[in-house]
Amino acid sequence: MTPLSPFVDISQRWLRFWGEWLLGWWQILYIGAQLMVLAFSPSSYRTSQRKVMFLKLYSATAPLLASYVLMSALVSLIVIRIVVTTALTYGLSHFALEVLIRTLVLELLPLSVTLVVAIRYTMPEGKLVREMRARGEFSEQWRSGGDPTRDELLPRVVAGVFAVFLLAALSGFVALVLAYLSVYGFHTWGFPGYTRSVGQVFNPVISLVFCLKTLFLSLAVSVIPIVFRPRADPNDPTGANAEIKVLARLFTVILLIEVLSLIGNYY
Amino acid sequence: MDTPSIPPKPVAHLELKARLLILLLLLLMLGAVAYVMVARGVFERTQKLVLVADDSEGIVVGMDLTFSGFPIGRVGRIELSEEGNARILVDVPLNDAHWLRTSSVFTMESGFVGGTRIRAFSGILTDPPLPDGAVRKVLRGDAKAEIPLMVSSVRELVANITALTSNDAALSGSLRNVQTATEKLNGASGGLGLLFGNETDSKKIISTLDRTNALLTRLDKLAVTADGVANKTGSLVTKADGIVSKTGTMITKADNQIFGQSGVMKDAQATVVQLNGLLADTRNSLKKVDAVLVEAQAVGSNVKDATTDLGVLRAEVESSLRTVDHLVQEINRKWPFARNNELKLP
Repeated sequence: MTPLSPFVDISQRWLRFWGEWLLGWWQILYIGAQLMVLAFSPSSYRTSQRKVMFLKLYSATAPLLASYVLMSALVSLIVIRIVVTTALTYGLSHFALEVLIRTLVLELLPLSVTLVVAIRYTMPEGKLVREMRARGEFSEQWRSGGDPTRDELLPRVVAGVFAVFLLAALSGFVALVLAYLSVYGFHTWGFPGYTRSVGQVFNPVISLVFCLKTLFLSLAVSVIPIVFRPRADPNDPTGANAEIKVLARLFTVILLIEVLSLIGNYY
Repeated sequence: MDTPSIPPKPVAHLELKARLLILLLLLLMLGAVAYVMVARGVFERTQKLVLVADDSEGIVVGMDLTFSGFPIGRVGRIELSEEGNARILVDVPLNDAHWLRTSSVFTMESGFVGGTRIRAFSGILTDPPLPDGAVRKVLRGDAKAEIPLMVSSVRELVANITALTSNDAALSGSLRNVQTATEKLNGASGGLGLLFGNETDSKKIISTLDRTNALLTRLDKLAVTADGVANKTGSLVTKADGIVSKTGTMITKADNQIFGQSGVMKDAQATVVQLNGLLADTRNSLKKVDAVLVEAQAVGSNVKDATTDLGVLRAEVESSLRTVDHLVQEINRKWPFARNNELKLP
């Protein structure tokens, strides 16, 4: 052992850490880009692929559909009641609808959909993909002439994106209906005014930012857990540390997207 | 970890279900796009209204133009005119355009809470409708603009209060004087000491008060005496009242007797009329006498012949004189010519 060995040891550990960190992001971007190219390639949706694609779409969306819509309706109802009552108390009822649409439809619901899809579908699927890799199934597919990126990863990513879009649209629709019913009751006379309020919120900039935010959130929640492959740790046989690392990267990206969307909406 | 992955459970009608989900998503997305377009008024037929304001602060594209609290138009564009004014281009749907008339007034208000609001007021709805592309000046009312003025006033007020409450201020001096006065009030000499400033003068006042009290006691006694006198005077006055009332009655009676229906005055007037008649008769008689005398002189020579006529004439004169004498006596009997004819024996 030379006197410089502790310093060298620390430097090597730092280098390895930052190298893995950068490699992880590169992996996400590189394979993510490949998946985007594949997603826009018609050959990815040929008849032989379609069955897998349908299966993944269904398994990503159907189990969440009823439970998530019910849960989001309940949360929306609570938020709507709080906002409407508070607005009435302070004599600001004309701002209540705008606040509700902005908080629920634009911010809370897309974020909650992202997290639910991540926890209920993409994170478990990502773990499965990592186990398949560990078992060498991907190499075997390559050898047998298949393409695991197209056959295994793409259906899962497309299913994740689809689930986020469908659940966000459905929960947004339910929230809008509940907001109308909470403010106007079961009458139709308030519909023109309500539509006008919705139109005021969804100006071109807000609409564009909302669509982009939902798209990037769905991509992040679909690509990162499935593509990112932390280095195998012999001290972590259950893979819990790897899950935490995936979750940390996912949260980082979600936070970044949220911040950017807020900047786009309100600055 | 080397266990091969378990194949997923087969799903009945998988393709149909998946297609339904895709269809649902497409419907939701297309519906959302269509709804937002309707909500933004993309499919509405509109007419233009140009509002000219000196400042476009607080105005944003998409904000409403309201009439009686209902949105009837939407700001579509804001531009700067060649005169340096803000031109706010409002799209008013044709369905709602009938609320705007040529006499409509437009205001732009900024409250303390919330954004700027543009309002339309149409007082006379029978006026001609506002034409497409009409340019109107918007009246501006900005509550926030009052804040600097208010702050300046408050600052001035605070400065005045500070000046009032400073140690060398008049108010402070007055308060000190009040404190001194209060101390004097609470002191041995009390309020009189406060009024006169020294104890000697206050003692003089007290002795004056004592003397005044004594004087008042004497005045009380005098007042009692005066009360007795007043009582007597009262009885006298009562008697005088009785006399006066009696006198009044007498006067009334006298008045009735003199000026009443059968009063003396009326009799006197009738008597005077009669007297006037008698005097006229007398004058005529005397004229006749004069004529007779003239005739008597003319026929002096024939006296003897006329003795018979003279005797008759004389009888007439005597008769007239008796009448006069009787009349004079009657007058003398009446008031106020009556004489006391009563004979008083010694």
